[in-house]
Amino acid sequence: MEKDENKVGDIFEKSTTRRAFLKGAGAAAGVAVAAAAVGSVQPPVAKAAQAAPKPMYKYLFAERQNCTGCRACEYACSMYHEGVVRPSVARVHVIKYKGIVDVPVICHHCSDAPCIEACPTEPKSIQKDPKTNGIILNPDICLGSKCLKCKDACPAEFIRVHPDSGQPIMCDLCGGDPECVKACAMQATNPLGPCLMAGKAGFGVNMAFRDVTPDEAAEDLINNLYYPNEDGGRR
Amino acid sequence: MAAPKGGYFGKILEIDLTKQKYKTRPLSEEECRKYIGGAGMGAYLLYSNLKQGHDPKAEDSPIFIGTGPLNGTYCVSTRISFVNKSPYTGLLSHAEVGGHFPGEVKWAGWDGIYITGKSKKPVALYIKDDAVQFIDAGDMWGKDTYTTEEMMLEKIKEPLARVAVIGPGGENEVPYACVMVERFRAAARTSTGALMGNKKLKAIAVRGTKAVPAVDNKKAYEAMLAAKKLAVEKEAWQGIKRWGTSGLLELKHYGTGSLITKNFQTTWWPDIVEIGAEQANRTFWKKHTACNHCPVHCMKTGVIRGGKYDGLIAEGPEYETGGLLGSNLGLSDFDGMMALIELADALGLDAISAGGCLGFAMECVEKGVLTPADLDGIELEFGNADSAVEMIKKIAFQDGKGGKLLAKGVKKMSEEIGKGSEAWAVQVKGKEIAAHDPRGDNARAYSYVLGTCGGDHHEGTSPATLARWAMINSLTMCSFVGGYPWGKETPGVFTAMLNPLCGWNMTDDEYWTTAKRIMTLERCFQVREGIRRKDDRLPKRLMTEKLPEGPKKGQVFTEELLKKFQDETYAYFGWDDDGIPTDDTLKALNLEFAVKDMETARKA
Repeated sequence: MEKDENKVGDIFEKSTTRRAFLKGAGAAAGVAVAAAAVGSVQPPVAKAAQAAPKPMYKYLFAERQNCTGCRACEYACSMYHEGVVRPSVARVHVIKYKGIVDVPVICHHCSDAPCIEACPTEPKSIQKDPKTNGIILNPDICLGSKCLKCKDACPAEFIRVHPDSGQPIMCDLCGGDPECVKACAMQATNPLGPCLMAGKAGFGVNMAFRDVTPDEAAEDLINNLYYPNEDGGRR
Repeated sequence: MAAPKGGYFGKILEIDLTKQKYKTRPLSEEECRKYIGGAGMGAYLLYSNLKQGHDPKAEDSPIFIGTGPLNGTYCVSTRISFVNKSPYTGLLSHAEVGGHFPGEVKWAGWDGIYITGKSKKPVALYIKDDAVQFIDAGDMWGKDTYTTEEMMLEKIKEPLARVAVIGPGGENEVPYACVMVERFRAAARTSTGALMGNKKLKAIAVRGTKAVPAVDNKKAYEAMLAAKKLAVEKEAWQGIKRWGTSGLLELKHYGTGSLITKNFQTTWWPDIVEIGAEQANRTFWKKHTACNHCPVHCMKTGVIRGGKYDGLIAEGPEYETGGLLGSNLGLSDFDGMMALIELADALGLDAISAGGCLGFAMECVEKGVLTPADLDGIELEFGNADSAVEMIKKIAFQDGKGGKLLAKGVKKMSEEIGKGSEAWAVQVKGKEIAAHDPRGDNARAYSYVLGTCGGDHHEGTSPATLARWAMINSLTMCSFVGGYPWGKETPGVFTAMLNPLCGWNMTDDEYWTTAKRIMTLERCFQVREGIRRKDDRLPKRLMTEKLPEGPKKGQVFTEELLKKFQDETYAYFGWDDDGIPTDDTLKALNLEFAVKDMETARKA
C-alpha cells in the first residue's frame, strides 16, 4: 500500500518503539488542535459547508492499554447497525494478539480520509457526514467485492468486508453518538477506566495511532506493557 | 420433531475423527427445552449414547462441547461446556470455560460439537461456519499450548478464529490434563485433555459469522441489557473487577479460614502476603482481561521483572491456582508460584489436580514414606518452588519414576505408596479437591461431595444452589456473573431473557424443574457407574483432623454434618436414601428412560 502524501501523514513515521510513538503523537496533537482551532477541517460535501452548522471535529479514540478484550463494543455496534449480535459484521472490532493483549481496531475518521480518496466511483460511494464526521456508505453505488480499494487504502486496516453483501463496512459514528463508546464506558469499570472514547478525548493522538496496523500496535503494547526478554519469548 | 424457534440453531456438529467425516445431528425443540444445553445437554447425550461401564478411552467415546441458548446473544459472560466421561474418575464430568471460543462456536451455527473416533495421526480441526477442515497437526504435536495456538492461527490464516488446544500433558495422556482456550483459560477437571490426546486431537479452531436466531429480538435485548446492568452495578463485583479471584487468597486466610495450606494440614498461611493479590498488584499485574461481553474482567495478566524468571508473562494468581500451587505447597516465593502456574497453563495440566498431587507428594516426603530416590532425585519439600517446577515438567511428559508416579493422581499414588499415606490423601471420588477447605467453609462440601463431578468447587453450596448451578452450567453462564448477581432464589432474570429469545413461556416452576431434571439425570449417570451414598464423602483428613490454627481453629467436618448435607440434598432432589433417584422423581421429571437403569442399580 502506498503511503499517502497528505498534510498530516508525513509527520508520523511508522513506529513500533514507544519513544518514536510518542514523538509522533506529540506532533500530531499539535496539528490536530491547530486544525480544529482554525476550522480547517473541511466537510467533504462542499455545498453542505455553508448551510450546515459548524462541523465538529469528531472521531473515536482508543486508549489501547485499557482494553480488556471483552468485545462489548462489537456487540453494541452490530446490535445498533444490524439489529442482531453479530461481531463478524461489527465496524469496530477487537484483535487478541498472542493471548495477552487486546487491540481495539477503530476507524480514526482521518481528516484526509484515504478511503474516500481511493473510492473510484463518481459520485463517491463513501462520504463523510459533514455533521458527525462519520463515514457513510451508499450501498447502491458501491462496487463491493469487485473493488475494495478503500479497504486497501486504510492505513489502520480497519475496513472489513461484509460476508453477505461483499461491501466494505464503514463506521458512521452512529449519527454522532457512538454506541461502542457507551458500551465501553459501562463495561470497563476497571481502575484504568474505559478504552473507547469519542469527541476530542483523543486530542489528536488518535491520528498518530492510525498509521499503525493492529498487529504492530499489538507488538507495541506487548513491549510497553510487559517488557519481555530480548527474544520476546517466555521462559 | 419441531426445530427450536430461537436461541438455538437446532443442530449439533458430529465429528468422527477415525473416518475424518462430519455430519449434522438435529436438535428438537423438546430436547432443547428439557436439557437447555451445555452440561445438561451433554448429560442427556452421554446418558443416551453410552452404556454402563463404557470405557472412556474407547474409540466411540465422545467429547461433547456444548453451548447454551444465551451464547452469542447480547447476554453477558457466557461460557461453553466440555462434557465427557472422565478417564480419570470414570464418571460423567463437565468443565465450563469462558473466553471467546464459546461465542465463535455458536456464531458458526452450532449448538454443540460432538467428537468421537480416534485419529491415527495428530489432527486439528478448523470449523468455519458450516465447513469443517481436518488439518494435519504433526508439526504442532509436542508444542506447548501457547505455541500451538499461535501455530494454529498461522495455519488457518484467520486471526479472528478462537482456539482450544491441549499441551504435552494431554498428548501424554496425563489423566488430569486439561484443554486450554485462548492461552490462559482452562477447561480442566474433566480429563478432556487426556481424552483429546487419546484421540490425537491437538487443537480446535472455530470462526463463526452468523447471528443467533431470536423470536423477539428486541424484548430479549432489553431483558439482557437489564441483566447486564445488574452485573455491572452489583457491589460485590467491584472487588472481583479490581483484584480478580486472587483477592480471595487473603480473604480465605484472614476471614473464612478455608485457605488450603500444605496439603490441607492447616488453613493459616501468614506468608500469603508474599504470594497474594496485594503482592501481585504491586509487582506483577499489567492488564485486566475479560471473557466475551463480560463487565467483570476477573483475569489479570502480568510479567515478572528481574530474578530467575525475568520476562515471564503469566496470568494469575487466581484463587485456585494460587491456593493449590501456592499456599498448598507452602510457598512464599511469588515468582516460583507464578512459574508453576504458567507451566500448568503451558503444559496443559489442571492446576488444581497438579497442585494436589505435588502437595500430597511433598507431605509423603515430609513424613518419610517417599524419598528423593523415588522421585528421580528431586527433593520435593514444602516451600521449595524449584523442585516443584522441575517435577511439574516431568508430570506432563510422564518422565521418569517421579513423573509417572505423580501423573497417577492422589488416589492411585496413595494406594501405590501405602504406609498410611491414605490418611493425608485428599480426594473425592478419585479427584483432588479445590482450594476451599470444607472444615473452614462447611457449605463448600455440597459442591465437593454432592456436585456431579466430585471434588469440584463450582457446583453449589446448598441443595437449592446445586440446582441453580446445574442450570447455570447448562445455560453456560459464567458462575460468577450468572450465579451470584442473578441467581439468588429467583430465576426471573433468566426466564425474562430466555422466553422472548426462544419463544418459550417458562415459569419459575419450570425453571426449577428443569434444574432438578438436569441434576437428577447427571446423578443417574453416576449411579449407573456405581456411585452411592458411601461415595458422597469427604476424605478422612478433613473429617478427623481438627484445624490447628487460624480463624476456624479447632473445627473439623463431622459425620453428622455430612449426613445432614446428604439427607437434605437427596430429599430436595427426590433421591432415595442411598442417593438413587426414585421412580416417582424420574417420572415427574420426564426422565422415564432412566427408570430401568435405576431399578437395576437399586438391586445391585
